[in-house]
Amino acid sequence: MLELDKISKSFGAVRALRDVSLEVRPHEVVGLIGENGAGKSTLMRILSGSMRPDAGAILIDGRQVVLRDPKRANEYGIAMVFQEQSLLLNMSVAENIFLAQEKPFMRLGAIDRRRMIEAARACLAKVGLDVDPAMKAGELDFAARQMVELAKALALEDRTDAPLTILLDEPTSILEAKDVAMLFERMRALKSRASFIFVSHRLEEVLEISDRVYVMKDGEVVAERLAAGVSAPDLHAMMVGREVKGEYYREARQSPPRADVVLEARGLSVAGAFRDVSFALRRGEVLGVAGVIGSGREELTRTLFGFLPQTSGTLLIDGRETVLKTPTQAVAAGIGYIPRERRIEGLVTDISIAANVTLARLDLAMRHGFIDHKREKSIAEYWINRLRIKTPSAAQLCRNLSGGNQQKVVLARWMAARSHILILDHPTRGLDVGAKEEVYDLIRDLSAAGAAIVLTSDTLEETIGLCHTILVMRDGAVTARFDAPARAKPKQVALLEHMV
Amino acid sequence: MTSTWLSPRAGPAAGSAAPKWRALAPSRFGAIGLAELAPLLVLVGLCVALGLLNPSFFSFRNLVWGVANSAAIPLILAMGATFIILMGSIDLSIEGALSVGTMIVALLCANDSNANNFGWWGPLLALIACTALGLANGLVHVVLRIPSFMATLGVWFVGLGIGTVALGGSEIRVLDRTIRSIAFERVLAFPLAVWIAAAMFFFALFLERKTRFGRYIYAIGGGEDIAALSGVPVKRTRILAFALAGFFNGVAAVLAAAQLGQANTTIANGRLFMTVTAVVVGGTSLSGGWGGIANSLIGVLIVAVLANGMVLLGISPYVHETVQGLMIIAAVALSVRRGRSLIVK
Amino acid sequence: MAGAAAQQVSFGGLADRLRPYTPLFLLVFLIAGVNAAEPGFATLTTLSVVLSDASILFILAAGLTFVIMLGGIDLSVQAAASFASMIVAELLPRVDYAAFPATVLVGLAFGLASGFVHVKLRIPSFIATLAAAGVMTGLSLLMEDGRTVSLLDQGREESAWIAGAWLFGVPNVIVIAALVGAGGMLAQRYTRFGRYSAAIGAGEPAAIAAGIPVDRYKILAFGVSGAFAALAGVVLAARLSSGSPDLASQLLLPAIAAVIVGGTAITGGVGSIGRTVVGALIVSIVRIGMTFVGVDIFAQQIVFGAALIFAVFVTIDRSKIGVLK
Repeated sequence: MLELDKISKSFGAVRALRDVSLEVRPHEVVGLIGENGAGKSTLMRILSGSMRPDAGAILIDGRQVVLRDPKRANEYGIAMVFQEQSLLLNMSVAENIFLAQEKPFMRLGAIDRRRMIEAARACLAKVGLDVDPAMKAGELDFAARQMVELAKALALEDRTDAPLTILLDEPTSILEAKDVAMLFERMRALKSRASFIFVSHRLEEVLEISDRVYVMKDGEVVAERLAAGVSAPDLHAMMVGREVKGEYYREARQSPPRADVVLEARGLSVAGAFRDVSFALRRGEVLGVAGVIGSGREELTRTLFGFLPQTSGTLLIDGRETVLKTPTQAVAAGIGYIPRERRIEGLVTDISIAANVTLARLDLAMRHGFIDHKREKSIAEYWINRLRIKTPSAAQLCRNLSGGNQQKVVLARWMAARSHILILDHPTRGLDVGAKEEVYDLIRDLSAAGAAIVLTSDTLEETIGLCHTILVMRDGAVTARFDAPARAKPKQVALLEHMV
Repeated sequence: MTSTWLSPRAGPAAGSAAPKWRALAPSRFGAIGLAELAPLLVLVGLCVALGLLNPSFFSFRNLVWGVANSAAIPLILAMGATFIILMGSIDLSIEGALSVGTMIVALLCANDSNANNFGWWGPLLALIACTALGLANGLVHVVLRIPSFMATLGVWFVGLGIGTVALGGSEIRVLDRTIRSIAFERVLAFPLAVWIAAAMFFFALFLERKTRFGRYIYAIGGGEDIAALSGVPVKRTRILAFALAGFFNGVAAVLAAAQLGQANTTIANGRLFMTVTAVVVGGTSLSGGWGGIANSLIGVLIVAVLANGMVLLGISPYVHETVQGLMIIAAVALSVRRGRSLIVK
Repeated sequence: MAGAAAQQVSFGGLADRLRPYTPLFLLVFLIAGVNAAEPGFATLTTLSVVLSDASILFILAAGLTFVIMLGGIDLSVQAAASFASMIVAELLPRVDYAAFPATVLVGLAFGLASGFVHVKLRIPSFIATLAAAGVMTGLSLLMEDGRTVSLLDQGREESAWIAGAWLFGVPNVIVIAALVGAGGMLAQRYTRFGRYSAAIGAGEPAAIAAGIPVDRYKILAFGVSGAFAALAGVVLAARLSSGSPDLASQLLLPAIAAVIVGGTAITGGVGSIGRTVVGALIVSIVRIGMTFVGVDIFAQQIVFGAALIFAVFVTIDRSKIGVLK
């Protein structure tokens, strides 16, 4: 019914999808699993019309189609229910369901609200949601809003003859168990009218609801199985694949951490995000935090840098109890932050390298209360040499640097500021292999010099390779703690078990 | 508010000691009920307070001429501004449009500066010109992709310039009796100006509630990227909204020329500020998506009652602007949605 | 995914490289052009008039530059200048020379207040400053019931240092503006305030993540804008020997135009006081040149309005704007 044939997509140097082929038949639920960065989101975006593939074909009932935009995808019966909600919270449920599709309800130039509400009620009945369609979407809870989105997707039935394919992108990651059960019940009931692609990292759930499962890894489909014939551990193994050979992560340079604790968390919690996180980070230690989206690890890193003060629990920096209310306080406490979005939060791309390097500690470049540009230049040049940043001069604007070099400038800033605690948020995202290896070397240098590092990474492999200790989080809580000494690294499967 | 499901659930809910965890999506988005009613309460409170301080506030004469009539033009201006602000944009060009509109009416109708006597062509052309200015706003904003405040800032001054150039720096008196009568002729004890304003109000209300255009305005204000993904014609709606605002500005301009009986260089002064104050005080959010035409009616009335009250109480008119300034700050500060970390420019 | 590069409208290779120098070219072109149309324009007397006009405009625009570089706008500079003119006129008879710094301090205070309202109450800068303008205009009107205040003999004497021409016949206004300009440029290049303003304007999220106390510096920028506006008002009062509630009217648009035509982008980050110098000169030449050539003073607004739109179109960096509102 719906077929993807050798779809490929690249973003610059990064190959997100490589010859992906899959198939959705009528009245079935197809599960799609894979680690972070496996390509699932990109695939969904291409299928829903938000993005065009670089190569490959999409076929509906055997005919090749071009999904120019989401509206066109709708015409072919493809509808997406997003991971981040896409309802307009300031408008009613009925208005959301029929957004931009009001024509059938027009009478004498005016919208017939009553008819629209009735029609909305019928749509909601299809998914078993009993709410007043005139209610504002913002007044519903998350699970209900998800159902409305599903209803909105199903409303396509009346507008197109094409068979429906509904894409569900991580629909359950923030749902409670009872809501998940309801969702699945609805999906089974709806299989007579639509097929589903169910993307999720929760393997048990995927196996429960799907008829067939595709496993993706590094942008490729590595396996296709009937859900009945496979188990979660099998899927784990397929998701993870090769174990890395050699010194890719410079494991040999991993020296044991020192004794003094610089950053300690006791029962740290942010209401609604994570709870009861405890760890004691020592000098020279690299602590990894593993978890999928919704596990709370992203929020944890933000708390450690003052973006999101904790609502309960204690944070101790160098033995002193603190609540970091702003990044300014975090920097003053000696913490540095390498953000995930380098170009937005990491660098001010329209000012020079030198200015970026001194940004966190401008006083280092100041003399008698004024900026000494010569001093600033020499500081910058020191770090350019030390980190081997490829640039003609320190006055170069950061926007012109490559990703890897930009990352080095951000690192240089915190090294110049002599931060003794570093929060690395996906530090190798978007970097090519060579740049990644340089970053790994730098991380080893830093930890050898005594810096304490908290690391979140895109891949389990990287986390395991680089870290001394790993915390695994799921649904806001720490579910496991692993030691990862140089010669006795845990297996990825072991971590995965506690993540999903 | 929780949702209920059609199919009954079996068994008790799984209760455990640890609390259930949700992402940071609030379950109730937006102002609570009390905050939504606030503008109305403020209006009622103001009227009561004024009535106590000076009972002549409630005299029929004052209500008609002091409040309703003086609120007529601001209300019409607020109609156009509301649609723009609902989208999250701003229209700074109101004063320029007023300048152009009043100038056209004055120059084309019977006046004391030239021999023209084109009667109703004056107002008609003024409407067309102001709508055209609004269209220009929309095109510059959407096609040249310039933020609305800059686009309308430019058009503001272009309009102001055109208006004052044509006037040659002085004023022109409108002598046409019929044109002037649309401001003063009374129907059922209320001046025509009030009826025209009421008509514009209901027209705007119809557009907001009953047309797709109105829906789309809210959609753009509530989440433009989501709206675009759903197929809402964002560009077209934006341009249309600015042109519509231009139309409302034109009606206001015609009425202003009629009311004042002349066009001069200062006729438009202070209107922008008052209009934005009225819309914001009425409860329409500057970030878009919340509020509406009915809110703006309340807001205009609040501003009008306040101005009337200050006159009745003998307070210097110069305090008006100061008070308005403080009012708008208070209104915006109170309406800001908590917990959304936007970067405000 | 690769981040977005700056998206300014692109006219092609050579044009893009020359882009930053456009205002300068424009300036030269204008001087030549007007002189060709009306010979006698490029004389010392006229240039002196141009520079004096530009000076006042520049002082106003210099403070604005800091705010616009942050990505905000200050619509209250005109009202602040008028308000300041009233205050200095009132204070001179009472406190002599102390009136000058006192007035600037008042301007600073009002600027800081609007900045505070903008930053801490999260109100868009155009509203906060529009409201501040309202408050200041109201106060100006209240002070003398809408009337102007004349500088009496004592006042004129004490403000002679502004209105006079001591240095080889160069009007002091120009000297003051030059000092302001120099101060502004030095501040931008050598002070924390200047560096942080540039960083915040060019990349606020990154500035926050680098630990810069962004709120504090934003408020300060508005304070500076207010102080400079007050200074401009003082200068105006000295030159016109009076203060009035609408003394600086008709100056808001030229001031904004001076900043933007000079090359500072409203999206923030790119820009400098130096560019505003060129911008102020261009705007003044256009103003005076148009009068010279016989273009109505009101018609000039049409030109400016259109020029403003064009200048923004050319300098704006669209990658900074997520959704265009």
